Amino acid sequence: MPARQARLDPVPTLRKFGANEKGNVMIRVGHLALAMVAVAITFASQVRAETIRLGAILPLTGPGALIGTAQMRGLQFAAEAVNAKGGIRGNQIELIFEDNQAKPDQSVIIFNKLVDLQHLPMIFTAYSGPTLAMAPLATRKKVLMVNGGAQADKLATASPYLINTLPTIGDEVKVLAKYLAKKQLTRGAILFENSAAGIAGRDDYVKFYPESGGTVLAQEPTQFGQTDFRPALLKIADAKPQVMMVSITAGLLQMAQQYKQLGNDFVVAGTTFFADAELIADPASEGFVHTQVRIDAPPELAAAFKAKYGADMDFFARQYYNAMQIVMTTIDKTLADGKPITGENLRETLFAIRSFKGLIPLEFKTNTASVQLDINVMKGGKDVTVEQMTSD
Amino acid sequence: MLALQLLCNGIVTGCALGVVAISFSFVYTTTKIFHVAHAGVYTLGGYIAWWLVKRGVPFVGAVALAVVVCVAMGALIQSQLYAQLERRRETHLVVLIASLGTLAVMQNVIAAVFTPNILRFDLPWASQVVHLGGNVRLTWAQMLTVVVSLAAFAGLLWFAHRTLLGKRIRAVASNPFLAEITRLEPRTAHLYVMMVASAVVCLPGVMVPLDFGLQPYNGVTPLLTATIAMIAGGVGSITGAFVMAVVIAELQNLSLLFIPGEWSIGITFFIFVIFMLFRPTGLFAAGR
Repeated sequence: MPARQARLDPVPTLRKFGANEKGNVMIRVGHLALAMVAVAITFASQVRAETIRLGAILPLTGPGALIGTAQMRGLQFAAEAVNAKGGIRGNQIELIFEDNQAKPDQSVIIFNKLVDLQHLPMIFTAYSGPTLAMAPLATRKKVLMVNGGAQADKLATASPYLINTLPTIGDEVKVLAKYLAKKQLTRGAILFENSAAGIAGRDDYVKFYPESGGTVLAQEPTQFGQTDFRPALLKIADAKPQVMMVSITAGLLQMAQQYKQLGNDFVVAGTTFFADAELIADPASEGFVHTQVRIDAPPELAAAFKAKYGADMDFFARQYYNAMQIVMTTIDKTLADGKPITGENLRETLFAIRSFKGLIPLEFKTNTASVQLDINVMKGGKDVTVEQMTSD
Repeated sequence: MLALQLLCNGIVTGCALGVVAISFSFVYTTTKIFHVAHAGVYTLGGYIAWWLVKRGVPFVGAVALAVVVCVAMGALIQSQLYAQLERRRETHLVVLIASLGTLAVMQNVIAAVFTPNILRFDLPWASQVVHLGGNVRLTWAQMLTVVVSLAAFAGLLWFAHRTLLGKRIRAVASNPFLAEITRLEPRTAHLYVMMVASAVVCLPGVMVPLDFGLQPYNGVTPLLTATIAMIAGGVGSITGAFVMAVVIAELQNLSLLFIPGEWSIGITFFIFVIFMLFRPTGLFAAGR
């Protein structure tokens, strides 16, 4: 009755711990450990194969919503296309969109929520004020931020973790100022928005326009979201400029219509902020000149976008589609290198890749991409390219 | 030419602000409620008219229907919110917070239903330019704003001073306690006040976006300026509120002749502060 003896034995384990028993236990422990490792590996691979979650803090309501919605669609469209093909190395991409109403304070709160609570390694941003507000946090928390829409000059040096897929306003203004000087438009006035982007544009005009031989005769501010531009336009008209350089991000259509209603005849010039489908289509914008980052969508891609959203794939949709492709290429390489998806690794990999071929070929010599710039003139409801240059 | 054009623009802006000010003043004087949600009613009127015009309703009909919706909204706010709070004898602060909450809800619902984008009335005649003398240019939307605002101002004055209901409302405003014991039914009078004020504020709520477009959060700035106009004009004076709204708008426009645009609002309100130091009861206080 060994079993019974064993049951009756007050210290059975001690007695049984002979060489064989020890070996059996060790084998069992070994099996258990192997099983646990296998489960852990399986679990880990399942987690990795499930989702890579990325954030996007965009203005989805408020005066910047039209642009923010286009940006959101561009990101969504690119992510869904990749997910439909099985994701990146089997990993699905999940985008978490948050609305900041283009407000810096709101953006900081959302950034902390996404990073501290949801542990996202990467966030898409837009608008200069909010992006500049989040930049120090990105540095401190080592979260990669990709901006495809904001252009304030300070963005170029705001954070080593901030990547700008657009040139800064300064880069565009340099090109625009040269073009205006070449066209003998040397007496200028500035209409600017009292926001980070608007003021940056104003400062660039004040700096680069005189360097190209121009003289700034007047500067008039407006508020973000404001749609009454008449007082500022009247004041500018009174200075009798040949060209009005504009640095506003919202209400461009209203500005154009009021400019026309007041019977002004000076040239209106701007940057990529003028890439507004409604503005281009309106007769009031006839003859407006602007720099434009060249980014075209293939016809089949644009048609698929329109079929999905019922809207044209406009500049900002294309820009964020492209930004998403840059990030997905970076994620792919990071995974291929066997590194975990962290902000630090993504940043390192992005600069290792350096040159990207998406909708637009671009290169990251610094945090801000070098791209091709066009000089466009609005004619008959369309944007017509009249010259081509590069941002650097 | 610049001064004349700025003067005309100031009159247009001032008239629209004036109507917001007189309607706000009408509510405040009678009910003592700081009706911040008035900005929401102002915004709602524009959106309703835009929605109707988009569906082919003639502009005049759209404005009339928008007025009806605003009246209903005013009545709803008064009967379901302010009257309930009054019954519970809540403080003015509680009522103000409730009003602010109502405004936030209205703005967000409007943004959710109509999108937060800047919407335009598809009425080409509104943006056509009328050439006045002295090279002054105004759009039909601006001209209409002035005409409708002056009509609303005159209409409210007539209503308050010449109609039985208007006189009853003024009596309630003058002495609510006496009105209660003389069976003037202040609560019913408050409901009428809110309905009339909502109808009146709907007019600039439609006319201003006809020129500048619609945005869900755009009612607050006019209401703030209108509130200042009401105080500067003398609380209780409809004429004072309207005149001061025009004066403030003119100051903001004409100051551009002498100072850069970014200082315009600051300087204007600095002058207002100085004015209030010397005449704190308002310009038209004696004429209540």
